[in-house]
Amino acid sequence: MNDGTQREVEQFLYREARLLDSRRFTEWLELFSEDVRYWMPTRSNRYPVNSKAISILDASRYEQEEISGEDELAVMEETKDTLERRVARLDTGMAWAEDPPSRTRHLITNIEVEVGDSQDQVRVYSNFVMYRNRGEVDQDFYVGSREDVLRREGGQLRISSRKIILDQNVLLAKNVSNFF
Amino acid sequence: MVLDVKSLVDADAGLISRRIFIEDDIYQAELERIFARCWLFLCHETQIPEPGDFITTYMGEDSVLVMRDSSGKIGAFLNVCTHRGNRLCRADNGNASSFTCAYHGWTFGNNGDLQGVPNLQDAYYNDLDRSEWGLFPVAQLDTYKGLVFATFDKNAPPLVDYLGEMAWYLDSFFDRREGGVEVIGGVHRWIIPCNWKLPAENFGGDAYHVAWNHLSALTSGFTQAPAARQTPGGGTFSPGNGHCILAVGAEDYSSSTTAIIQEYEESIRAETLSRLGPRLEKITPNVGTLFPHMSFLRGSSRSFRVWHPKGPDKIEVISCQFVDKAAPQEVKDSLRVTGLRAFGPSGVLEQDDMDNWEECTRINRGAVTRRYSLNYQMGLGHDRFDEELGAWASDFKLSDSNPRYFYQRWASLMQAESWDQV
Repeated sequence: MNDGTQREVEQFLYREARLLDSRRFTEWLELFSEDVRYWMPTRSNRYPVNSKAISILDASRYEQEEISGEDELAVMEETKDTLERRVARLDTGMAWAEDPPSRTRHLITNIEVEVGDSQDQVRVYSNFVMYRNRGEVDQDFYVGSREDVLRREGGQLRISSRKIILDQNVLLAKNVSNFF
Repeated sequence: MVLDVKSLVDADAGLISRRIFIEDDIYQAELERIFARCWLFLCHETQIPEPGDFITTYMGEDSVLVMRDSSGKIGAFLNVCTHRGNRLCRADNGNASSFTCAYHGWTFGNNGDLQGVPNLQDAYYNDLDRSEWGLFPVAQLDTYKGLVFATFDKNAPPLVDYLGEMAWYLDSFFDRREGGVEVIGGVHRWIIPCNWKLPAENFGGDAYHVAWNHLSALTSGFTQAPAARQTPGGGTFSPGNGHCILAVGAEDYSSSTTAIIQEYEESIRAETLSRLGPRLEKITPNVGTLFPHMSFLRGSSRSFRVWHPKGPDKIEVISCQFVDKAAPQEVKDSLRVTGLRAFGPSGVLEQDDMDNWEECTRINRGAVTRRYSLNYQMGLGHDRFDEELGAWASDFKLSDSNPRYFYQRWASLMQAESWDQV
């Protein structure tokens, strides 16, 4: 990927993080295409096929990934419409999970940009640490990776697909009321 | 330890002590008298459909391995090696004929038998009777309409008696159509720093909180929540044994935010009515808690979950979504996405519940705060036994009637030395 595109994507993701941490959610929503799929699957603990801890009865049942499938239960499986409604909910003054609001900090690293499926797209890998502090002592660390498809629409980059892989099995936060 | 349970629960006056949500000695007694004694939900049969399929879960704080053995029979065992007590199975689920402990290599079959012991001949001189050292089984295991339950107490009444009139209410969630339900793949598991009884009683009939606590989700289109409407239908129902049901009006049977689910519900109405009978023409069971800590709902999300206790002020939720097996795929898909947006760790309804349950636990730790009883007086004296519905029913849709029965049952179990005294 040429340096100009790499730098443009990095700046795009850093700006996105700043919008989230500043709670400028309406501006954040503008970064997504209308057809976006925003998806955070669940993770499970599974024995690998070569584990000596079990004798596998039916090895074909171990071809599944430890990441939940497209048709399975996810932590979030959102469209532009439901992202907008999640943001609208925050503005009601009665979204108690975010009242008082979280203090968040998104640290975005390991940004790799690859060619996408078409000329106007790039595939972007990044890692994140998201620190959340709230109220007096609430504290959560979310660490994971993202796989985005960024599409150029009228000169602007837009996120047309986001897959968020959170590095937790049992979610250690009482709720996922923030965005990634 | 002798607990003065009467000072903790006064259901007749609608007063419950804050201490039962925070104190460790009460919690330790609960582990013995509630969780080591009651029938507890393990999983749905469709989560372990094939021989060798297994799933790990909890009964109280005890880790349990639930598996279908090679002959197809379901068993449940403590998930510990009988040798040195190491955790045996480290996976959430899978398919295996045997499990080998990671510490010394003792191997157990998927029926719990101890199959292999390294150095059995030379180090144990063949003196070890392997038949005595199989996995520790639960005392009783039974299923109802695909729901798998077990108890650690051999003297517990049969599951069918434990469920009692609740059986029909379970049918109204899990056996509405031919073939019953199936579980959608993937599980929500998360930690909430709250006492287990708060979500149990909330799902057990707290219609009162819906219109206020969930107003933001209502106004942003994530739920229709008929329980929040100021219409007369529905109410709280206690079918006995501490089980609790919240129902909306019969006319609200198809309530959903999406047309596809509404149309589906309308299309199967005749079938559900013929299967479930005339009770369904009076009410639509919508949310419930099977005593002590399994809850389920079919409004904004078709989910069942267990509030696994992890101390007086912490739980791990294991939550699954279920769908009618006979439903079209597009209906299943719609239920999945609308459900996870409403209930689950990111669910816009459940997020706010969790925040409130945490504070209802944490803030009451103060020595002085905990002296004051909580108020469960709504609708006191305004419920009656409904013969047709087989349950104590509140006169008005909003009532603390259910939690009063729930905590009465809790107190009865906490006082009883054995099942005979419950």
